[in-house]
Amino acid sequence: MTGLRTEEFVVNMGPQHPSTHGVCRLMLTMSGEKVIKIEPVIGYLHRAIEKICENRTYNQCIPMMDRFEYVTSMSSNMVFALAAEKLAELEVPERAEYLRVIMLELNRIASHLIFYGVTAMDLGALTPFLYGLREREMIVDLFEMTCGQRLTYNYIRVGGVSKDIPKEFVPKCRETVKTIREKLLDYEGLLNENPIWLVRNKKVGVLPTDLAIAYGVSGPVARASGIDFDLRRDDPYSIYDRFDWDVPVRHNCDCYDRYLLRLDEIKQSLNIIDQALDGLPEGPVQAPKFKPMSFKPPAGEVYSRIENSRGEMGCYLVSDGTTKPVRVKLRGGSYSQLQALPHFGTGGMIADLVAIFASLDIILPEVDR
Amino acid sequence: MTKDALKDYVAGHYEGKLTPLDTGRFDLWFEVKAGDLVEVAQSLRDDEQLKFDFLCNIGGVDTTERFEAVYSLASTVHKHRIDLKVVMSHDAPEVDSVQQVWPGANWFEREMWELYGINVKNHDNLTRFLLPDEWDQGHPMRKDWDAPDFIRMPEPGQ
Repeated sequence: MTGLRTEEFVVNMGPQHPSTHGVCRLMLTMSGEKVIKIEPVIGYLHRAIEKICENRTYNQCIPMMDRFEYVTSMSSNMVFALAAEKLAELEVPERAEYLRVIMLELNRIASHLIFYGVTAMDLGALTPFLYGLREREMIVDLFEMTCGQRLTYNYIRVGGVSKDIPKEFVPKCRETVKTIREKLLDYEGLLNENPIWLVRNKKVGVLPTDLAIAYGVSGPVARASGIDFDLRRDDPYSIYDRFDWDVPVRHNCDCYDRYLLRLDEIKQSLNIIDQALDGLPEGPVQAPKFKPMSFKPPAGEVYSRIENSRGEMGCYLVSDGTTKPVRVKLRGGSYSQLQALPHFGTGGMIADLVAIFASLDIILPEVDR
Repeated sequence: MTKDALKDYVAGHYEGKLTPLDTGRFDLWFEVKAGDLVEVAQSLRDDEQLKFDFLCNIGGVDTTERFEAVYSLASTVHKHRIDLKVVMSHDAPEVDSVQQVWPGANWFEREMWELYGINVKNHDNLTRFLLPDEWDQGHPMRKDWDAPDFIRMPEPGQ
């Protein structure tokens, strides 16, 4: 084979590639079919949400948060509301806290169901997508019934939630929980032992524990790399310390474990919802005497963080005592996950990279803001 | 370690380097001099009692008189958390990179450099990041930044 010349070449994956889940561009240096270097190029979805928030009152910022992380916009509402409430030392009524937990957990399940469907579709299986979206539809119906929206909920506000649930909510929610619990067996049956699924996921994209910590990787991806850390348990916010549930942790660090871990998390979220529905008290859902338009938290700064379905979601908020925040800095789990990708995603085929990217469950609006 | 114990421990072991701040009111906030940052960061990460191995966030702030960089740290071992603040002059803001301590700081610092114009020393990749490649309108997160289509909203009720 003399005279045959080989050279590395650069392939652009994205920004319009279906498996980059949005507009992310990965500049891949390839040697044949093997990926030897990844360089993420982001910013295609930068909408300057942080700058816009500096120009809005506190409750006007909440709709901006919906656009920050739209797959679980309940969480992004929550992280901002928590920060503002902490600054103002605002007490939230008991019923609102319970409703928040129910909504956050429902939203987490909805997000993991999207992960389940989309990941499988990226790897060539269409059926799981239909299954996942079918059950997600039930959850979205619950949200629509509560706040009139199916994607950008604007439901969790500073001082409570925007409105009380309708009386059909609780029975419908219990029915949804029951259905998803049954359907989980179908999900597992479809993929868990599927030979193609195993070959595509097992021992692919191994993210070592120390690398995960060094790059600030959190949430399900970190827990699948053996890091036993969940903010709901370790730095409890809202009323998470009242419920009895487990934090699933897995130790193989690969794509397959990340997938299994998310299914485990759905089960735990269902447990939390059950308990929250049982304990749901009567009462108001907004803090009394709270006036959104003249809400002025005293000067100060706070970093609040919650456990989102993509890891730690944080909000650093600075107030100077006026109606508008001085600084809103948002931190999303996807940001750190994407940053870590070039350091463990190389060495495989380009098709493996699709599996790795899907298993990290990155969404780009959270990265670009 | 409880919050009070942590406060005493940090105040005792880092006397002269970390000054407690009361702006956070609920969490532990410390101010660190720009020159001490990397050394303090390294020791906060490696101290067996503290183990701040997880960098949650780095946020730049423009207070119109000065620039600040805020480092939110957490420990995955001991589950506690503190915030560090570095204050910089408004004319020539400059801070050392903490990449060698927490590699994940890379993107946060790059973002801070781009949006605030805070120069990060010893950073390996200060290039265009979130903004378009051909961007030439300065650092948009600065409070004095202005553009023809940027309208400041009045205070409610005015």
